[in-house]
Amino acid sequence: MTRALRWLTALALIAGLGAAFGYAPREAVQGNVQRIMYLHVPAVLTAYLAFALVFVGSLGYLFTRRMGWDRLAVAAAEPGVLFTGLTIVSGSIWGKPTWGTWWTWDARLTSTAVLFLVYVGYLLLRGMVDEPDRRARYAAVVGILGAANIPIVHFSVKWWRALHQPSTILGPEPSPIAAPIALTLLVNWIAFTLLFLYFLARRAEIARLEESHAG
Amino acid sequence: MPDNWGYVFAAYGLAVIALGAYWRRLARRAKSLAGPGGSE
Repeated sequence: MTRALRWLTALALIAGLGAAFGYAPREAVQGNVQRIMYLHVPAVLTAYLAFALVFVGSLGYLFTRRMGWDRLAVAAAEPGVLFTGLTIVSGSIWGKPTWGTWWTWDARLTSTAVLFLVYVGYLLLRGMVDEPDRRARYAAVVGILGAANIPIVHFSVKWWRALHQPSTILGPEPSPIAAPIALTLLVNWIAFTLLFLYFLARRAEIARLEESHAG
Repeated sequence: MPDNWGYVFAAYGLAVIALGAYWRRLARRAKSLAGPGGSE
């Protein structure tokens, strides 16, 4: 199962790169630097998915006290942090030639940085508590509270005056994106989701093995 | 607007390094926990 997912992920990533560099046109206003969006947008959407699963796993653990839910939460949190980090770094690299700065304390950028730090804290907390039930309980509380930041990140561009552009993919209005650009984004979104599911499966298996070694 | 290919390759290069490193880290950790002969 994991082997099949690995190959599917590899093929999807190759297709995504091919679409980003070979199929998608040069964007009329931004030029080729817009191709960073085929990395940046799927990364943040994947991070949302990851942290939503941390929320589900955390709630599941607190209600049932079954370690399987905790394994789901930690297996989603690690790649979630990775994809959020990629979102911030790729956005910063895109921002330098486009906005003229690597970083600005814009509402979207700042709330995304807070999201990143909250889940880095979540992972650090897990590393500091040895007793499995206590670790799972403390982490579940942070996992649930941390999820409150996801809508803040997403709607920050609507709620506050921001330099960052409004949502074009998950926005309320139909997307104004040209078809080849939308298709390239979709292919890369699928590729990143598969990559996340592969990471999730492997990390959950590692957590299961760690528990069996410890127990 | 200039093409800024350097920024594009920097972003994708860093992503490949970060995702590849995490992929390898998971593979190594799973292998060490599975013991001799263990893989997936």
